[in-house]
Amino acid sequence: MEKSFLIAGFGGQGVLLAGEVLANAFMHADKNVTWYPSYGAEMRGGTVNCSVKMSDEQIGSVQDDTSDFIITLNQASFDKFTPMVSKGGTIIVNTSLAKKVKTRNDINYVFAPITQMAEECTGNVKIANILALGILASASGLLDLQSLEKALDTVIPEHRKNLLPLNIKALKIGYEYDLSTANV
Amino acid sequence: MECLTGKKILTKGNYAIANAAVMAGCQCYFGYPITPQSEIGEFMSGKMQELKRAYVSAESELAAINMVIGAVSTGVKAMTSSSSCAVALMQEALSYASADELPVVLVSVMRGGPGLGNIYPSQGDYFQSTKGGGDGDYKLIVLAPSTVQECADLTYKAFYLAHKYKNPTVLLADGMLGQMMEPVEFKKYPYPEIDNSGWALTGAKGRDGRIIRSYAPLAQDRCEFLKKLYDKYRIIEENETEWEEYKTEDADIVLVSFGSTARNAKIAVKKCREKGIKAGLLRPVTLFPFPHKRINELASTAKQFISVEVNMGQMINDVKLAVNGKVPVELINKPVGIPPSPDEIVRQIEVYNGSTSF
Amino acid sequence: MAVQVFKVPDSIRKNAKFSFCPGCDHGVAVRLVAKVIDELNLREKTILAASVGCSVTLYDFINVDSVEAPHGRAVAEATGIKRACPDKFVFTYQGDGDFASIGLAESMHAALRGENISAICINNTTYGMTGGQLGPTTLLGQKTTTSPTGRNREYYGYPIKIAEHIALCDGTAFSARVSLDTVANIRKAEQAIKKAFEVQLKGLGFGFVEILSTCPTNWKMSPDKAHERVRNEMMPVFKPGIYKDVTEG
Repeated sequence: MEKSFLIAGFGGQGVLLAGEVLANAFMHADKNVTWYPSYGAEMRGGTVNCSVKMSDEQIGSVQDDTSDFIITLNQASFDKFTPMVSKGGTIIVNTSLAKKVKTRNDINYVFAPITQMAEECTGNVKIANILALGILASASGLLDLQSLEKALDTVIPEHRKNLLPLNIKALKIGYEYDLSTANV
Repeated sequence: MECLTGKKILTKGNYAIANAAVMAGCQCYFGYPITPQSEIGEFMSGKMQELKRAYVSAESELAAINMVIGAVSTGVKAMTSSSSCAVALMQEALSYASADELPVVLVSVMRGGPGLGNIYPSQGDYFQSTKGGGDGDYKLIVLAPSTVQECADLTYKAFYLAHKYKNPTVLLADGMLGQMMEPVEFKKYPYPEIDNSGWALTGAKGRDGRIIRSYAPLAQDRCEFLKKLYDKYRIIEENETEWEEYKTEDADIVLVSFGSTARNAKIAVKKCREKGIKAGLLRPVTLFPFPHKRINELASTAKQFISVEVNMGQMINDVKLAVNGKVPVELINKPVGIPPSPDEIVRQIEVYNGSTSF
Repeated sequence: MAVQVFKVPDSIRKNAKFSFCPGCDHGVAVRLVAKVIDELNLREKTILAASVGCSVTLYDFINVDSVEAPHGRAVAEATGIKRACPDKFVFTYQGDGDFASIGLAESMHAALRGENISAICINNTTYGMTGGQLGPTTLLGQKTTTSPTGRNREYYGYPIKIAEHIALCDGTAFSARVSLDTVANIRKAEQAIKKAFEVQLKGLGFGFVEILSTCPTNWKMSPDKAHERVRNEMMPVFKPGIYKDVTEG
């Protein structure tokens, strides 16, 4: 099995870090994995993205034309990446910063006010990226919370370890998000 | 990130290279920043100071590579790292280091050229590293990693081969390998330490001063030296040529691809096989020495070779020399950027072969 | 009783034959460097980064461990050597072209970083080895093969005062300009070279000496006339003196 992921948003939303956590979680689950960031001129205008691939076999390309799961944390990336969701794939949309519009009928939409949830439940909007990973975990069924928690522990540096409980809390809130109301 | 062994960590190719260099015993790092390899210098600036080893933010790539020459002339392991248009600045020194037989290690993380180009991945410096931009007859040993794990493993090997053969050695990565993360495990430096007491500059204690020089006013001296140098290159070819093969035994079409591009070529071979196309892959790990002999052998049974590269077609020249006219050699390329996708490669293979001929 | 008043320094290679032109001051400068190496007992811990120019085969004359450098990069190599082996004595011996033209960036930055190395630079106002072309130190009005009507500022700009520039760098411990036109000045030159070496041994930073020298061949002068030119034309522009000495407070 090989699955591809893309996380996009604007600079400061922790897009690259979320991708790193996701990739570490797959590594802890003994999968082959790659992480590849957008860099250079494509980052002008403030949008950032990274691709994560996981597979049971050796991974070739680190970035494909389309991805099975895409998280978009703002309007610009929602607009840009909707066409790049694989047929039958899923897009997770942060409706706090993007309008709830469906332009395709061959993909699954998961709408969630991710920034608002982060602020209301943890008092910290910066944690939206990790909350989104929680939603991805339950929407994809490809990762368990333990792998993600272990990944957070790996990625968060020693001098920031006090932020670990907050991150785990955000992860759980995302994971428990009611998906039955999300696709409307 | 720390120097550690026996534990898998997820890290960028650039950090893997830098950490492996530290673990290989690199005593001196000299460098000047350039995207997409600046993480190497950033990592080294902290780590080398922490370990009380040498680190210099050099004023230019010219200075950096010549600082490496100075350091390795004393027998220690030392390196610099850079990218394409800045590696161009180092060509003179690489010629000197070849002529002076010094174990310089250069990490070259390719980006788009020519000129200032751009910072996206590229394999446009195949010629630069294997054919050289410096003066005269010389060869660099060139190692081409394809994964982040290989970025680490071949960094070890680069130090070993440089010292074993007293020859400048290039680790030729690209922007994709430098910037991507993949799990990597750092093993202990697996090679023996090379005794350099016979040539290294240590101060002429109880002996006459040693001279490391290429300057040879007499033509005869130079003739003899060059013959000796090329004898060494022949030994390197015999002993150190390294490549990976995948499904080549019965292949009608042999893809030849190195570095990051070979990853996609390998998946393309799988996809070809699913379609009934008998494709295989030969991935040179050493670009000098190049696996000429093996490619020539395969050309006796294969019907076609295709060089897959991210440039306008450079390695294809060596593939053609190796195949030596036995069968056609085609090119699948992308000028710059991440490699052509496996599907694109398969599509091109089908175009070259009239889609149903295999 | 016979008294020995002159001997070839021990650090000069046995049977070394200097290849400098007759009357050239390089020979005197090389001997002074070797003498100071003897006096400070440095031969067995010295590593030389050799240069390109008339000084290119210095390693054939001075009996120390040596590595050649591409043109202009001797100071960069010396930096690498010293960083790899801080306990060695590391020096360069370069012409003005090598040190202050093609290698100016390396020279200045080594001085700015305060690299613990010593550099000797021969200033003869011309590119000697290639046949007397205009160099960075060629004087205004001076005729060379590439300034046939004399150096004018419109085409060529101004000559560089090397010792003054190096003295301006915070990492420089010692910077001086000396000449070899009289016995008294040769003695001063020897003292300056010694100082430039000693600051390295004390770990104080970059040690530098610019030596005004003759090039009778390319100047097309007798050695005597050449020394007169050093006195009358060079010294008024390139004034001898100590421009920086951190050991003097």
